[in-house]
Amino acid sequence: MIKLPSIHVGKLSLLLAILVWLALLFVDLVRLFAILNEMESGIPVEFTWVLEILFFLMVYLFYSYSISKNTDSEFINLIWRAASTGIFAIGVSALIFLFYGSISESRLAQEPFLRNFFYHINFALTTSFLISTALLWKHLILYQRSKRVIKQWQAYEFAMLVAMFFIFFNQNTLDYSFLFGLVLLIGLGIVLSSNLKWIPYLTFRDKWKSLLFLFIILFSCTFLFVQMQGYSDQAIYPVNLTDNLFLVSLFGFIFSYALFSFLVTLFNLPTSSVFEQKLTEAISFQRLSQSIKAEENEEQVLDILMDSCMSASYSDGAWMEMGKEEYPDGYLIERFLDSGTREDLSVLIETSKTAQDWISQNQSENLTPLLIRVNHPTCESLLLVPLIINKIPIGRMVLCKEVKDGFNKEMVNIISTFVSQACISVENHRLLNQAILNERYQEELKIAQRVQKSLLPTKLDHNSAFDLCAFSNAADEVGGDYYDTYRLDEDRYVLIIGDVSGKGTSAAFHMAQMKGIFQSLIQLNPSPAEFFIKANAALSKCLERNHFITSSIFLINTAEKNISHARAGHVPTLFYQSKSNKSDFLEIEGLGLGILRNMQYQNHVEQKIFTFNSGDVLLLFTDGIVEAKNQKSQQFGYERIRTLLEVNHDLCPSDIQNKIITALHEFVGGDGKIDDDYSLVVAKFN
Amino acid sequence: MLNIISVSENENDILVLEGEVDASNSVLIDEAIMKLIEEGSKSILINGHKLEYISSAGLGVFMSYLEDFEEKNVDFKIFGLSDQVFEVFKILGLHQLMNIYPSKEVALNS
Repeated sequence: MIKLPSIHVGKLSLLLAILVWLALLFVDLVRLFAILNEMESGIPVEFTWVLEILFFLMVYLFYSYSISKNTDSEFINLIWRAASTGIFAIGVSALIFLFYGSISESRLAQEPFLRNFFYHINFALTTSFLISTALLWKHLILYQRSKRVIKQWQAYEFAMLVAMFFIFFNQNTLDYSFLFGLVLLIGLGIVLSSNLKWIPYLTFRDKWKSLLFLFIILFSCTFLFVQMQGYSDQAIYPVNLTDNLFLVSLFGFIFSYALFSFLVTLFNLPTSSVFEQKLTEAISFQRLSQSIKAEENEEQVLDILMDSCMSASYSDGAWMEMGKEEYPDGYLIERFLDSGTREDLSVLIETSKTAQDWISQNQSENLTPLLIRVNHPTCESLLLVPLIINKIPIGRMVLCKEVKDGFNKEMVNIISTFVSQACISVENHRLLNQAILNERYQEELKIAQRVQKSLLPTKLDHNSAFDLCAFSNAADEVGGDYYDTYRLDEDRYVLIIGDVSGKGTSAAFHMAQMKGIFQSLIQLNPSPAEFFIKANAALSKCLERNHFITSSIFLINTAEKNISHARAGHVPTLFYQSKSNKSDFLEIEGLGLGILRNMQYQNHVEQKIFTFNSGDVLLLFTDGIVEAKNQKSQQFGYERIRTLLEVNHDLCPSDIQNKIITALHEFVGGDGKIDDDYSLVVAKFN
Repeated sequence: MLNIISVSENENDILVLEGEVDASNSVLIDEAIMKLIEEGSKSILINGHKLEYISSAGLGVFMSYLEDFEEKNVDFKIFGLSDQVFEVFKILGLHQLMNIYPSKEVALNS
């Protein structure tokens, strides 16, 4: 397979254009030679026309390729490109003119071949200028594309294509059909010339530049046109290339578009600052509306807000002060103002009647910017803008102008927009920070939950005389319920259950303290009552004033088959006795821990002992179970749990536990959420 | 829901509690008692006729003032508790520390 080299349109069209031009030159020179020698050249004039059309097409191809390649060009660069082509074409013409000026005496000046050669050069350059400029105009016209404009342009291009071939029709004479075509094409060109939407986007500087360039283009266009007309009546040019409908109407189009652009740019000069201002406002708005990035802070947004508002209203000075609640250290930005002037103006605002009315008549969240006239040597009008976030005023911005009534409605509107946008940004920023913080708290709570779970024993101490199981559930992430076991020796075991008042994190901390106290005091082998007296003394030092802990402790002696116990304000423990096949709550007095924080406590704690037999069940629980409520606001109560134990006493401890928990959830119903911590410990004696 | 009405009768300040006391609203009782103490009240009575439920946090409020009452010589009494609510006081052992009466008359005459 032969691999074809990829075709480079730009180079190829340029090469073809040059070749066609050379061919054109050759054909015309041959014809000239024939005329001069009064011979018949045998080359029909149509041949020249075909070459001319080919040349036009090649130049069009070349420029449309090279312009579309530099699409990023700014308008000013595009106009400069056209202007520079014009300058080049004029420059070459001027050189030719000078050349003839210098040799006017010699025979060479009359040399028809040379003249023809230069005529062809001028023709080529004029064509290049016209076609390239037309294509640049196309770029400008289609800057804001709409279906209508594109259609217009396509129609124009098609008409121009037809115009190229028009020469075959009218044989290059100036007749009515030529004039008709010319009027039609120039009319189309003028219609297209109304598409000047790119002009407002030029900056003030660029407008001046473009005026200069457009002037150059107008001048080039006129010069080249006049020059071209100079050729038409001279007999030494055998074939007139330039009296061509295509070229003449292109002249018309380029001239009219350049003229329109020139005039519109000129008249746009005085208002261009307004357009630039609007663009700046749009950019400011965009900056304000961008959400605050993590590394930025509110102050930066407020800073941008100040700058944007000042430039939007051409203020001479401004300051912003934030409320003490949001910024305890105070926050103040001053722009082009000294603090003396600011204080003077603040006093004037406080005393101004308009400001007082404004504050008294409006709810703080409905405050809108207020215009105030003041009498101050450096400032005669003020604009007071409240900053309101989430319906709460957080501060105010004051813009000052030296002139009276310096703020118009548009300025106030745009400033209101800026302020509300900035406030939204700040609010979003705060919400985001809040969300991040909440996320972190959630993480911390998860850790707390894990730590607390590890405070409850995973392995319960017991021996073959009894089986044990336990369960605890917190209403929140962490809770205040506690149970634990301890092995004193091979026959003596301690069971404890506790409940810290309240729930949640504070309860969880006290629960951890309780665990510490239990694990240390129990090593001293105290009796149940002694344990509570000591625990109360210890807890009195660490519990918050309105917190207390309830607890029950059981010392199981499997050798003597008895249990001595004490209760510290805890819900009574349920005991099932197989002998009587009944379950009852153990009755014993006892005050909660941390209620009496002195030695008086020992008068309020009791200790009892009872014996157990095989099949007996001891059920320890917390008030979360008996106080759990169903949708009718009824409590689960003591009776239900008592009956449940009587019915299920035959089961193993974990089954008894599951029965109770299932019954509890069935009772609560709904989403099954119990809004207190609840725990239970089941001990069954073998 | 908890509703606290403060009534002043002869030297006695009566706080009428209506509804349920839990962790979220126990602070209201705390504020009410605090206010009476600051005003120099010497006799504070709690009317619990319409008290339906009290959680451990609610009991914690009463408990936290026991020492203050003793120090400032304030006569603090509770009356009219339903059996269910009284049971909660009793389980915790507070009935040994507080003056709890069946009715207002008994409370005032004791």
